[in-house]
Amino acid sequence: MIDNDTISAISTAQGAGGIGIVRVSGKDAFKIGEKILRHPSGKPIQTWPERRVRLGIVVQTGQRVLDEVVFFTFKGPKSYTGEDILEIQGHGGMENLQLILAATLEAGARLAEPGEFTKRAFLNGRLDLAQAEAVIDLINAQTELAHRVAVNQLSGGLSQILHEIEGKLFKILVPIEAALDYPEEDIPPLEKEEALNIIRSVKAQIRTLIDQAERGRILQETATVVLAGRPNVGKSSLLNTLLNEERAIVTPIPGTTRDFVTETIDLQGLPLRIVDTAGLREIDDPIEKEGVNRSWELIKKADLILFIIDSTLGLSVEDRDFIKEIYQSVHRRKLLFVLNKSDLPAKINPTEVNSIYPDEKILSISALTREGIEELKQTIRSELMGEDFSPEHPILVTRLRHKKALEKTKELLAQVEDGLKSGISEDLIAFDLRDAIDSMGEITGRSVNEDIINAIFSQFCVGK
Amino acid sequence: MTPNDKLFDVIIVGAGHAGCEAANATAKMGFKTLLLTIDFNNIAFMPCNPSLGGPAKANLVREVDALGGLMGRVADLAHLQFRELNTHKGPAVRALRAQMDKRRYQEIMQHFLEKEKLISLRQGEVVSLKRTGEYWRVIMSTGVQYETTAVILATGTFLRGLVHIGLHSFPSGPLGQHPANALSEFFQAEGLCFRRFKTGTPARVRKRSLNFSAMIEQPGDHLPYGFSYWIPWQEREQVSCWLTYTNASTHQIIRDNLDRAALFSGAITGVGPRYCPSIESKLINFPQKERHQVFIEPEARYTDEMYVSGASTSLDEEIQDIFLRTIPGLENVEIVRPGYAIEYDVIPSNLLTPSLALKDWPGVFFAGQINGSSGYEEAAAQGIMAGINAGLYLKGEEPFILRRDEAYIGVLIDDLVTKDTLEPYRIMTSRAEFRLSLRQENANHRLTDYGYKYGLISEEEYELFQAEKNRIQQAFDFLNHHHLSPDTPQAEALFKEKGVTVKKKTAFRELLRRPEISYSDFADPETHGLKQREIEVIENAIKYQGYLEREKKMADKLRKMEMKRIPPDFDYNQVPNLSTEAKEKLTNLRPVTLGQASRISGVSPADISAILIWLSRR
Repeated sequence: MIDNDTISAISTAQGAGGIGIVRVSGKDAFKIGEKILRHPSGKPIQTWPERRVRLGIVVQTGQRVLDEVVFFTFKGPKSYTGEDILEIQGHGGMENLQLILAATLEAGARLAEPGEFTKRAFLNGRLDLAQAEAVIDLINAQTELAHRVAVNQLSGGLSQILHEIEGKLFKILVPIEAALDYPEEDIPPLEKEEALNIIRSVKAQIRTLIDQAERGRILQETATVVLAGRPNVGKSSLLNTLLNEERAIVTPIPGTTRDFVTETIDLQGLPLRIVDTAGLREIDDPIEKEGVNRSWELIKKADLILFIIDSTLGLSVEDRDFIKEIYQSVHRRKLLFVLNKSDLPAKINPTEVNSIYPDEKILSISALTREGIEELKQTIRSELMGEDFSPEHPILVTRLRHKKALEKTKELLAQVEDGLKSGISEDLIAFDLRDAIDSMGEITGRSVNEDIINAIFSQFCVGK
Repeated sequence: MTPNDKLFDVIIVGAGHAGCEAANATAKMGFKTLLLTIDFNNIAFMPCNPSLGGPAKANLVREVDALGGLMGRVADLAHLQFRELNTHKGPAVRALRAQMDKRRYQEIMQHFLEKEKLISLRQGEVVSLKRTGEYWRVIMSTGVQYETTAVILATGTFLRGLVHIGLHSFPSGPLGQHPANALSEFFQAEGLCFRRFKTGTPARVRKRSLNFSAMIEQPGDHLPYGFSYWIPWQEREQVSCWLTYTNASTHQIIRDNLDRAALFSGAITGVGPRYCPSIESKLINFPQKERHQVFIEPEARYTDEMYVSGASTSLDEEIQDIFLRTIPGLENVEIVRPGYAIEYDVIPSNLLTPSLALKDWPGVFFAGQINGSSGYEEAAAQGIMAGINAGLYLKGEEPFILRRDEAYIGVLIDDLVTKDTLEPYRIMTSRAEFRLSLRQENANHRLTDYGYKYGLISEEEYELFQAEKNRIQQAFDFLNHHHLSPDTPQAEALFKEKGVTVKKKTAFRELLRRPEISYSDFADPETHGLKQREIEVIENAIKYQGYLEREKKMADKLRKMEMKRIPPDFDYNQVPNLSTEAKEKLTNLRPVTLGQASRISGVSPADISAILIWLSRR
């Protein structure tokens, strides 16, 4: 065990819920239990059988009964942290859980630092580094699909592919190295074409991983979809329609600001934050102008912009100006045109819009009658995750660090490719190849340094 | 009281390639040195190939030379042939390889040692060491005793040497020399557990019995330099080597007689090197290969003895006769000495510190083949480092440890004391993370300041080095400050000769980055007083600048890990996240830094992270 002190924290997410968990880990976990837990009858608890769910009451030092709870214990090292663990399930509600937590602290526990439970699990040999990272993802995973990806990574899917890639690169590197060290042996010369083929196929493999990484990020971090358009084109009714159809995710993030309404939904496993911007229009009032500016900030950062057009009014000059501005200010735009109010007589149809903006996708819906909503949902999904996306295709790269390492690997492999083509000396080809392999090692953990570890543990939230 | 003639600062046991360099180092540092050899006729003897250098090994020779060692100078004076290898594979792996006149090599080395007033050379077998106060008493087989503060053991393959020829085996040093068994027994009685390694050599044959017309001649190259930075280069009359091949009938004979090879009859328990395998191992490990190269190399200028390189064997002497005769050119071969395999004691890496000191034995150092290395160059490199560190020990100063990004010597010694070496260790360029920086032409720029600091480089030599540095600096100034403009005669000439177009006014230095451009395109190096090797220093620094900068970044990263010291009493058992294997190896090896720990086989990055977190929370 790594520390002598015993730590305690509320392990469930903030916010109201039916029950909440306070977890205590460390060598005094059971002693603390003895101090604060009683049989429902009020009698002290004598024995602490492992992994058995029991009923009890939590008392403060002054014997005041705080809550009726369910509790159970894990004996180290066969526990999550590798230490003795006491879990107390109390009635939800932050206030109540805070009181239970306070009781454990009073009884001798120390408040856990962020990520400390998982850090202890890592230090006590219960998790390796890749698993620890996946745990962060599990903690952060908001939807079931994201959860599934995290589990996939936990079981080493990515490491396996990288290992395979490493093997392919070794096929090129090893003969080069051998020939460099043994120039007088009859080692067959490097087959340039074969080497180039390997490099190309590995690059393609890595490109796929990187593309997936973008989707992985969306799964992990939630994609932002911005509803943009003039006032009264039906942005908020579309938001409400989507909200009614899909499960809203309760988040501790404040939903409504003065300028925007933000709701997070689970679109068939895809976590989406939908932001209804303030109606976009040219305004002179400085306060409202501030709101419009912020709308533009959001639009620039969005993963997908739904530009809503009122089909009963047609494309106004204002609409065209906004679109122009979106084209100008949004660097890598992902834009979807939505013609709303298809239940009413239309002044403009998708074909007409298409003739003006031939590169854009245009959908016709009615937020009111839900006509076209299903198609809209599918389109949002495929725009964000790609056409071929399915939960059965596991996404392996969900962390920015992994993506960056893969991008570096790809870049180095491009150098190897250029080098092979231009015929630079083999010591340099070997250098770039080794570097490429090393940068993959940053994912599999071969060249882990202190900074990475610090970052990992600062990302952990309290409890699991 | 020990009489003065029995009192030394350093005693070096063994006068092979490690021992000779160690003695030179301690004497140059001003210490009274006794160099003991078991056979006075065999100082700096080469019991295996009559050659020095090759990839990475040549870099070691140059590095030893840059520090003020002897090997490079002796080789330059004793060569039979020089070649430059890997000339088309990049400067980092370009390598000199030289055939040696073995006899002349010994003579010249002995002469260099005898010149040193502080070195006493003496024949004798050490049987034990005894700690008396602050001193070591070195006890000889004849009962004579010497007293010294530091001891360097450079006993090569002599400790419990056991020679195998076919099914016959007998205690022996290399090539019929007297083995040193008593010293090995002494150390074992003191609790040191040796491991057994194996190496071997091929037969030596009589030149006049060979038919060279059936072989391919391998003449030397005429090169503008040898190994040494310090003595004027002079090419000697070159002698050729010869290449021939084994064939199906050679292989058949060997396969049919494997039961008469010590390596496969079960007689040998030692672990053999993958780096220079016996012919029987080659056949077993690579059955698909139809032929193997065999180089016939002269052992010396005035001898009829030739070395059959590539056909190292532990087969029965009779079988050696038969299989050699199947090789073209060797049909009537007469063997002078049969090939043999030798087993010997090797000290486990966990007992040595990075300064090559024996842990818990103050003032005792180990160098050379006894440390698990193979090769003359590897031995010499350890010898000079053990010598310098023994000198620093005597002065009470911090040990001299070269980093992996500074020298192949650093890579070699770090590997030897860190990696659980299970077979004789040979240096290779692939072992060096920073091989583009550790080039052979710039070893003096990497190391000569150290050599001077420790007293191994004389004032005259250091002046030579300073002069070279000045010339190179001036050349850089020239390249930085001179430009080529389009449409000038010089630009036109460059286009004509190299096909290079100059589009705008460009500094010479920038142009020199292009692979097809060389220094001589701008100026005659001779008028700048530059030697060929110095031109390489300049060109490589410019042409590979981008790569060298990347290596430097990587080295800085590594140095950070190298600076994280692990307390010597660190208890790995308290870190529960470590794998059992890692715990065992770390406890056993006691690495000095986290960097060293990370290079231990079986210690994973996850293990390192755990230690790192553990260390930072203390």
